Amino acid sequence: MSVEVLGDLFRPIIMGVLLGGLFALIALGLSMVFGVMKLINVAHGDLMIFGAYFAYALMTAWGIDPILSLTMGIPLWFGLGFAIQKYIMSRAFGISMEAPLIIAFGISLILQSLAQIIWSPYNRGLEAPYALGYISLGITSVPRTYLLSFIAALVVMLVLREFLRRSYLGKAIIAASQDRRGAELVGINTGRVYAFAFAIAMATAAVAGVFFGLTFTFTPTSGVGYLVIAFGVIIIGGLGSMLGTFIGGIVLGLTQTLSGHFLGAAWQMLFVYLIVFVVLAVRPQGIFGR
Amino acid sequence: MDVERNMKVSINQSRLILPVVLVVVLAVFPIIGTPPAWLLYLFHFFIYLAMANMWNLLAGYSGLTFLGPAALVGLAGYTLVIVTWNDLPFYLGIIVGGVVAAAFAALIAIPTFRMRGIYFAIGTLVVPEVLRNVFYVWKPIPGDFIGGGAGYMIKGIEGLSLTEFYWLALVTGIVSILVMRLVLRSKLGLGLAAIRDSDRAAASSGVDVFRSKLYAFVIAGFVMGAAGAIFYIYQGNIQPKEAFAIKWLMYPLVATVIGGMRTEEGPIVGTTIVVFLYFLLSKYGQLSLLIQGVILVIIMLLVPEGIVGFVRRKTKNYQSILQLATRR
Repeated sequence: MSVEVLGDLFRPIIMGVLLGGLFALIALGLSMVFGVMKLINVAHGDLMIFGAYFAYALMTAWGIDPILSLTMGIPLWFGLGFAIQKYIMSRAFGISMEAPLIIAFGISLILQSLAQIIWSPYNRGLEAPYALGYISLGITSVPRTYLLSFIAALVVMLVLREFLRRSYLGKAIIAASQDRRGAELVGINTGRVYAFAFAIAMATAAVAGVFFGLTFTFTPTSGVGYLVIAFGVIIIGGLGSMLGTFIGGIVLGLTQTLSGHFLGAAWQMLFVYLIVFVVLAVRPQGIFGR
Repeated sequence: MDVERNMKVSINQSRLILPVVLVVVLAVFPIIGTPPAWLLYLFHFFIYLAMANMWNLLAGYSGLTFLGPAALVGLAGYTLVIVTWNDLPFYLGIIVGGVVAAAFAALIAIPTFRMRGIYFAIGTLVVPEVLRNVFYVWKPIPGDFIGGGAGYMIKGIEGLSLTEFYWLALVTGIVSILVMRLVLRSKLGLGLAAIRDSDRAAASSGVDVFRSKLYAFVIAGFVMGAAGAIFYIYQGNIQPKEAFAIKWLMYPLVATVIGGMRTEEGPIVGTTIVVFLYFLLSKYGQLSLLIQGVILVIIMLLVPEGIVGFVRRKTKNYQSILQLATRR
């Protein structure tokens, strides 16, 4: 009997782990901005969804492949992030405690209504011929999009890790996140570093948006829910650790697929949000956190 | 001196007379044949005013950046459904809705008050998401074709017209203003102000931090819930997607910040602008929200104290200059 149950469980477990990769990919940018600037960018989910819409626009207008469209999406989002931090967010810090939160909320409001004006409130999705159907993983088969997202998450994480470890800018970002004044004392322009950190976070949001759009359908207001999930991922995984972020993503991914498996699809998001809430209430510093 | 004192007395009297006259005028609006469209604007104005006032009480005066008003509104709306489907009168639904929302606020206060700053903000943002999913699967009134994503009709409101909706909203709006005045002038208000500036300093001077925040939260919960229930009486139906939507945070937040957080008049000014924009641009769909977002960002960057705070600062400067010039 146990073999049968396990055999049944293989699929949701593998799907959950793969989905966790996507969640981690979404959370990556949020975690970076939070870690460096101690700011939760409430517009992160909407910026991610907007990335999906950008790819959707290119796909429907000129038939450009969603993943290929990232060659435009990543630089554009990078520039957008740089501009948001340099011209808006950097000023918000000096105003009051809640100013950055409210301004990010304003940006989220602008993005949501722009998406509704341009693309209507209906469900949209990204399509690519290689992302259709299922792929066999030996024991079970999973949707190709899940595997693609997982691979993308791994790639982005490895690239980001090497960048933070090896490049001057990466080291400067880590230094500024550990001790702002100390970083300034050794000659790091923290204002500039913050802008780059935000820009990089936005670039990962563009990537996350495309793979999210390939995996699920989205509406202009989808961002809020995934902001919450991404926040849950970094709370569970703790700040400043890529591995932790990955584990956090997998915990929530497994929560979603396993509760869907045992109780039905209608219950799965309920459990994901509940877990986020419980973790926030019990251990706001994170389970794997420092 | 005498003239000055007389002026003060007359100012105090006019301060009382003006609001009373205003309320009476607003109350007779539906009887004297005001166009229905105006009543509709004012209905929305008063509902959102109540929400904005309570959001100001929490975020502006109690240091609780509460991002989950939708939870209270939605719960009160569904309470209204349960009450009216059990053949009980709708006004009972408003009161019970407010009570349920207040009780729920007390319930989530226990876990969420442990969270600080941004954690509290996101923690309360999760709550409506949880509840929305609860109401997708849980049917408070079982049956086919109702509940879940399809939602419910509100029963027992067939005899009501815009006039009654308007009066209900007017009462809620006025109650929310009075609640703000009472709370801010009470010991609770002083304690909240101390907590907002520094909760440790407040605690060491004998303010019960948890209890003060809890009272503010429960009061706001009741008023927000009642306002939400009245809105759903007007709307006539409720679905999880819309009841727990982010718009219930958007309007109070935008109105409060534009008008001026931590000022009593701020939400009134802000709600006027928000509702005006909403109806002015209703033809263009989401355009009013886009503009509200832009205004929100600009106001926060340029005049973070909001319109009322800005005007107050400017007139204060002006008055002090005037005083310097006229004295001696």
